[in-house]
Amino acid sequence: MNIHHNWRRAVQLVSLLAFLWLFLQTEYRGADQLAYPVSLLFRLDPLALLAALFSPGQSPLLSLWPAALLLLLTLIFGRFFCGWLCPLGTVIDLGGAPLRRKASAFAGWPAFKYYLLLALVFAAIGGLQLFGLFDPLSIFLRTLTLTINPLWNFIANGAFNWLYQADIPLVSPLADLIYPFFRDYLLSFQPLLFFLGLLTAIVFLIILALERWQPRFWCRSICPLGALFGLCARHSLLQRTPQTQCPDCALCATQCRMGAQHACPSGGTECIRCLDCLDYCPQQRVSFQFGKPTTVPFNLKRRTLLTASAGGVLLAPLMAAAPVSGRLRNDLIRPPGAVAENEFLQRCIRCGECMKVCIGNALQPDLVQGGVFSLWSPVVVARLGYCEYNCTLCGQVCPTGAIRLLPREEKRQTKIGLAVIDQNRCLPYARGEECLVCEEHCPTGKKAIVFDAKIIEQGNQRLARLQPRVVKDLCIGCGICETRCPVAGQSAIVIVSEGESRAPSWLTDRGY
Amino acid sequence: MPTRRQFIRRWLFSCCALSMAGMVPRLILSDALAAEAGDSVLAVRKGSDIPALVRQTIDALGGMKSFVTPGETVVVKPNIGWDRSVEFAANTHPLVVKTMVQLCLEAGAKRVQVFDRTCNDPRRCYVSSGIQQTLDALNDKRVEMSHMDRRAYRDFDIEGGQALERWSFYLPAIEADKLINLPIAKHHSISTLTLGMKNMMGVIGGNRGILHRKIAQSLADINAVVHSDLTLIDATRILVENGPQGGRLEDVEVRNTLIASPQIATADAFAATLFGYQPGEIETIVAGHERGLGEINLSKVRQV
Repeated sequence: MNIHHNWRRAVQLVSLLAFLWLFLQTEYRGADQLAYPVSLLFRLDPLALLAALFSPGQSPLLSLWPAALLLLLTLIFGRFFCGWLCPLGTVIDLGGAPLRRKASAFAGWPAFKYYLLLALVFAAIGGLQLFGLFDPLSIFLRTLTLTINPLWNFIANGAFNWLYQADIPLVSPLADLIYPFFRDYLLSFQPLLFFLGLLTAIVFLIILALERWQPRFWCRSICPLGALFGLCARHSLLQRTPQTQCPDCALCATQCRMGAQHACPSGGTECIRCLDCLDYCPQQRVSFQFGKPTTVPFNLKRRTLLTASAGGVLLAPLMAAAPVSGRLRNDLIRPPGAVAENEFLQRCIRCGECMKVCIGNALQPDLVQGGVFSLWSPVVVARLGYCEYNCTLCGQVCPTGAIRLLPREEKRQTKIGLAVIDQNRCLPYARGEECLVCEEHCPTGKKAIVFDAKIIEQGNQRLARLQPRVVKDLCIGCGICETRCPVAGQSAIVIVSEGESRAPSWLTDRGY
Repeated sequence: MPTRRQFIRRWLFSCCALSMAGMVPRLILSDALAAEAGDSVLAVRKGSDIPALVRQTIDALGGMKSFVTPGETVVVKPNIGWDRSVEFAANTHPLVVKTMVQLCLEAGAKRVQVFDRTCNDPRRCYVSSGIQQTLDALNDKRVEMSHMDRRAYRDFDIEGGQALERWSFYLPAIEADKLINLPIAKHHSISTLTLGMKNMMGVIGGNRGILHRKIAQSLADINAVVHSDLTLIDATRILVENGPQGGRLEDVEVRNTLIASPQIATADAFAATLFGYQPGEIETIVAGHERGLGEINLSKVRQV
């Protein structure tokens, strides 16, 4: 009886596990090139495709062909992605189950997501790309990267650590026995720590909590990716019959997880092909067949559509007509290979893949360093982690070309910033103590940090000391000096964005 | 059945008991060290066939059997600090490591562990140094090249420490029956050279950067409590400039030399001469000698 239902659940689960497995592979595993297409989720993502399309400069459109294929398949089969593959949808189905109340006839606002999509598209055309904030796949991976994975590692490591230290008979040897498996396959090589974990978790929890109100509220009313699929599914070849609600039965109105029959007479745009109605229809009237779609008009208001478009169009210039943050501050460091800041923000869909893969945990989600709409985009926080000299992983995973894939040789010469010594805090300058940590770690073959021999006078003592100095032409801003600086708290050598390779000349050569 | 209150009370009590058990233990100068102070032995060999050279050098000291007793757990500690390939002379040569591991196994070691707390990403260093692949190729279950287990660092009080009173040490290095130190000889801008004593920074935890303020005494403290039973310095090629990380072939000199001694300061003292220094010019070596880690006046050393 529940055969369709079970099939779908099985596919959902397998797809979720597959994406989780790819997530765990998003890590250096002994080879310079990642062995799997770990960012497959975003190569499948039509919103990533849109972001890349609307960006200036060259896009890695070829690598985004799965997204185009997905849209084509949607033209044939309808919104099956939402019902069968979307990992956020699956998490909502699973995690929302205990929250759900009895079925209600409340339809939600299915039209809203179309207005939202339209506003986002127009904003993107205008130069402000905000897909990433609402893209369900970005939300899923971002939550996984910034919240769930750190939490899981923290708890698992804490438990293993405690059992190791406490040495409880029977339990501890058992834990030691299974630890290598966890270490090698399920835990991060080193625990990754991130800012914005709480904010990211709150967004995710709100989406889950909305289930209390209505099943798949997010998918029905907000999801812009769902809206894009809905537009493609409108004339899809695979159609459900009956196409309208039956006169003698209203079960679909309350049972359908998408309110599809209720929301839109044709149902084609809202139906996610979950096939539940095949099971619950008491008369067994429902079937899915290839046939002629009905052309019932879309239930969208022209006035609202215009408002949404105008809002989107105006948002971009509104944001553009503000001072550029790069003129005020110098602590915005982007990953190596990042394109120029404007284009970067238009391309980055905030998926978090680069932050997960970053070998040194150097990439952190931004809050407002790069402006309000830089939220969740990657920035290097060199005090927490540095950019590994020989590593090119972030460029390998970026799905939209916001971070270009650099050949290793080019990466080694790409300046993401410049190290600057704070002489008030640097030990050899400030206190005449010996220290060489920054110079020792500097990775450029000919070191970008050199020593000057100085005689310093402390009271009536004369001390011979080596004082570090940064050679601007050699420094690539990798930040290992800032990470390793032994001074407590803020480092005595910090990376500033001055001299970064990607900066436009008007930002650096500021004349009058 | 205990009441809930009793249960909580008991549970808290056992937690307290457990945490008492975790009080900071104390590391003291090993007995072996005191016995050694009299006679310092040194073996230096030259040659381009690295595996043969390792064997000759160890044979000169009486063979591996005089260091490793059958059934013992041995830690072999190379320098794997940097994400650099073999030719850049930033890490110990993989063939030196491999041959030393084989010698330990031949002497009957039950288990040989190889590790280092690296400066660059550990995964990259293990691979780029070539050591991981070389040891994997041995395909021997007794050989274990693992990354540092972050659970296994423990704080110890250092008895008689001059720069350090307490530091975090890596337990497998402390608990091993024998510790074999396999540094590579390199230039280093503060301690001038990085040799055997400096290599022991790879078995400690904590913020190692702050040790550089009193590097010589700190290294003497560490080496006084973590005793290297044998030090074999890889000078097959040495890094003479831009150390300890290197990255330019111009800074590498091929010397085809291995230096071995049971006394770490003695081995370091000879290695210093390869760079044109007198042992007495290097503060760390002097501090090591003063702490009883070996004779550094090379004319008083018995060369074999």
